[in-house]
Amino acid sequence: MEYCGAVGLFWRLQSHERCNGESMNDDPSGTNTGSATGQGTLAPASRRSEARQALREVGSAVVSLWWRFFDWLAVVSWKTLLGVSLLGLILAGMLNSAEPFLLIVVASFIVKVVAGGKRRAELTARLATQRAETEKLERMVLEARMVALQAQIEPHFLFNTLAGIEQLIQTDPPRAAKMQQSLIRYLRSAMPQMRDGRRPSLGQQVSLSSAYLEIMAERMEERLEAVVNVPEGLKTAAFPSMMLQTLVENAIKHGLQPKAAGGRLEIGAEIVDGLLSVYVQDNGTGFMPSSSDGVGLANIRERLAALYGGRGELIIGVPPDGGTRATIRIPYEIAPDAA
Amino acid sequence: MHAQPAPTALIADDERLVREQIVSRLKAAWPELVIVGEAGNGSEAVAMARSLEPDVVFLDINMPEMNGIDAARALAGQAHVVFVTAYDQYAVDAFDQGAVDYLLKPVEPERVARTCRRLRERLQQKPEPMDGLLEQLAQRLGGSGKPREYLHWVQASVGTGIRMIPTSDILYFRAEDKYTCVQTARFEALIRKPIKELIDELDPKEFWQIHRATVVRVDAIGEVSRNFRGKQQVHVKGREEKLEVSRSFNHLFRQM
Repeated sequence: MEYCGAVGLFWRLQSHERCNGESMNDDPSGTNTGSATGQGTLAPASRRSEARQALREVGSAVVSLWWRFFDWLAVVSWKTLLGVSLLGLILAGMLNSAEPFLLIVVASFIVKVVAGGKRRAELTARLATQRAETEKLERMVLEARMVALQAQIEPHFLFNTLAGIEQLIQTDPPRAAKMQQSLIRYLRSAMPQMRDGRRPSLGQQVSLSSAYLEIMAERMEERLEAVVNVPEGLKTAAFPSMMLQTLVENAIKHGLQPKAAGGRLEIGAEIVDGLLSVYVQDNGTGFMPSSSDGVGLANIRERLAALYGGRGELIIGVPPDGGTRATIRIPYEIAPDAA
Repeated sequence: MHAQPAPTALIADDERLVREQIVSRLKAAWPELVIVGEAGNGSEAVAMARSLEPDVVFLDINMPEMNGIDAARALAGQAHVVFVTAYDQYAVDAFDQGAVDYLLKPVEPERVARTCRRLRERLQQKPEPMDGLLEQLAQRLGGSGKPREYLHWVQASVGTGIRMIPTSDILYFRAEDKYTCVQTARFEALIRKPIKELIDELDPKEFWQIHRATVVRVDAIGEVSRNFRGKQQVHVKGREEKLEVSRSFNHLFRQM
C-alpha cells in the first residue's frame, strides 16, 4: 500500500514538475498541448482524436521519465540522495514551497527502500542467469567430451588391427612390428586426451590421425592412399581434440571402406580469411543425404558452437570429382601447451 | 567305404590379412578342407560362390559393395555360412539363437577348431535357409529393410562450390523457378530441384509447407501474425523477412 501510494504521489508530482503544468486528467477539452491548438480549423471529431493522441504521447513520456527516476533512485547511494534532498529543500525553501518538496523527499526515501530491494533482486537474478549459462556451457563441453571419449577407440578398429598384427607376426614380423608401433603411437596420443582437458594443438591431432592412417593403410593396402598436407607452422595452432580424428574415421568408414576400389584421403590445413581451416577430403562413395550420420558430426557442431560461438563452423562440401570434403574453421590461436 | 569329395570353402573379407589369418587357422584345424577362393567384397563373394559352389562360405559382415548379411541372403540354401566379425554384441546375441556359426576377429585357433567340428557334422545336411535369422540380424545391424528415410542433409550450391547442409541448419526453402533457394542463418544456397519434388523427401514432422513456394522448418518459426490484409505471416527466428501463409495452409496455425 505504501509503495502504491508513493508511486501515485510521485506520478502526480512528477507530471506537475516536468510537464509544465499539463494536467493529467482525462478530460480532453482541458488539454492545451501545442499540436492540438495549432489545428484549430480541424473538425471537432478529428481534433479530439488528435488531442487524445497527444495526450497518449505525453503520458508515455511521463511514464518513461518516471521509470528513469525510479531506476536512479534504486541505484543512487543514500548519501547522495540525502545531499540532493537537502539541497533541494534549501532551494524549495527559498522559492517558498518547502512543504510539497518535503513530501517528495519522504516519498523518495520510501521508494528507495522498496526499489533498492527490486534492484537487489534484479542483480541476484542476473547473476543466477549468468551462472546457469556458464554451467550449461560447461555441461555441454563435458558431454561432448564424454561422447568423444566413447567414440575414441572403436572396438572394430582395435580388434581388426590386432587381427592384422597377429597374422603379420607369422608371415612378416618386421611389418607386424611396424604396425604395432603405429598402434602404440595412436593409443598413446589418444589416451592423454581422455584424462585431461588441456587444449591440444593441431600438431597433436594430426599425429594421432597419422598413426591411425598408417594402420589403416597397412590393413587396406592398395585400397587406401593417405596424404597429410599440414604446414609445419600451423602445427602449433590450438585445435579441439578428436574432431579431426572423427572426420578421418568418417572418411574411411563411410567414404572409402564401402568402395571396393578404395581411394585417396587427404588431411590439410591452411589459413583462410584469418581463420584456421582444417579439412579432410576423400574421393570415396560420397555423402548420403539420407544418412543421419550418428553422433559424430552433430557432436562436432555442438562443440564448435560451445567453444567458439558463431566463429567456428563445420562445412561439408562435395569436391568437383566426387567424394566428400569436411572442413572445420575456427579462429587461429597458438595452443598454450605448444612450445 | 568310398572316398567322399574333399569339403571346400570360400573366404570373404575386405582385408587380406584377415583372410590370410582365417586360411592359416583353417589349414591347422581342418587340413582336408580345400580353400577354393578368396573374395574382397560381398558381391565378389556371391559371384565366386555361385561359380565355385563351395560347401562353406566364411563371410565378413562389414564389407564394401554388399555386406555379409546381404551376401548370405543371396546364397541362402546354397552353402553353409559362417560369419566373421570384429565386434558385434548384437550379432553375437543373434547367432547364439541361430543355426549358423560365427567367428570373432582376431580368430582364435580353439574357436576355429570348434567351428570346424560343427561344420563337419552339418555338411551331411542341406544348408538351412535361415531367413528369420538374417532378417533379425539385418534389423539389429541397421541394414536393409528399414522404414522410409527422409533427408538429413541437403546438397546445395553455395557460390561456386557444393555443400552438404544439415537440415537442422535450414530455416526455410523458397521456390525459385525450377530451382529451390535454401536459407540458413549464415548463407543462402541453391538446389537444382523444384520445391514440389523436394517436399516429398523432407520429414513432414521437421518441415511444413506454408505456401506453394515456401517450406519452413517448424523449429525455426518464431511467431505467426496477420498482415493488414488479414493474411497469416510466419516470422522466422533471427530473420527480418516474413513468409506468407497461403489460405490452403492456414489450418497449420489454427488456434488451439
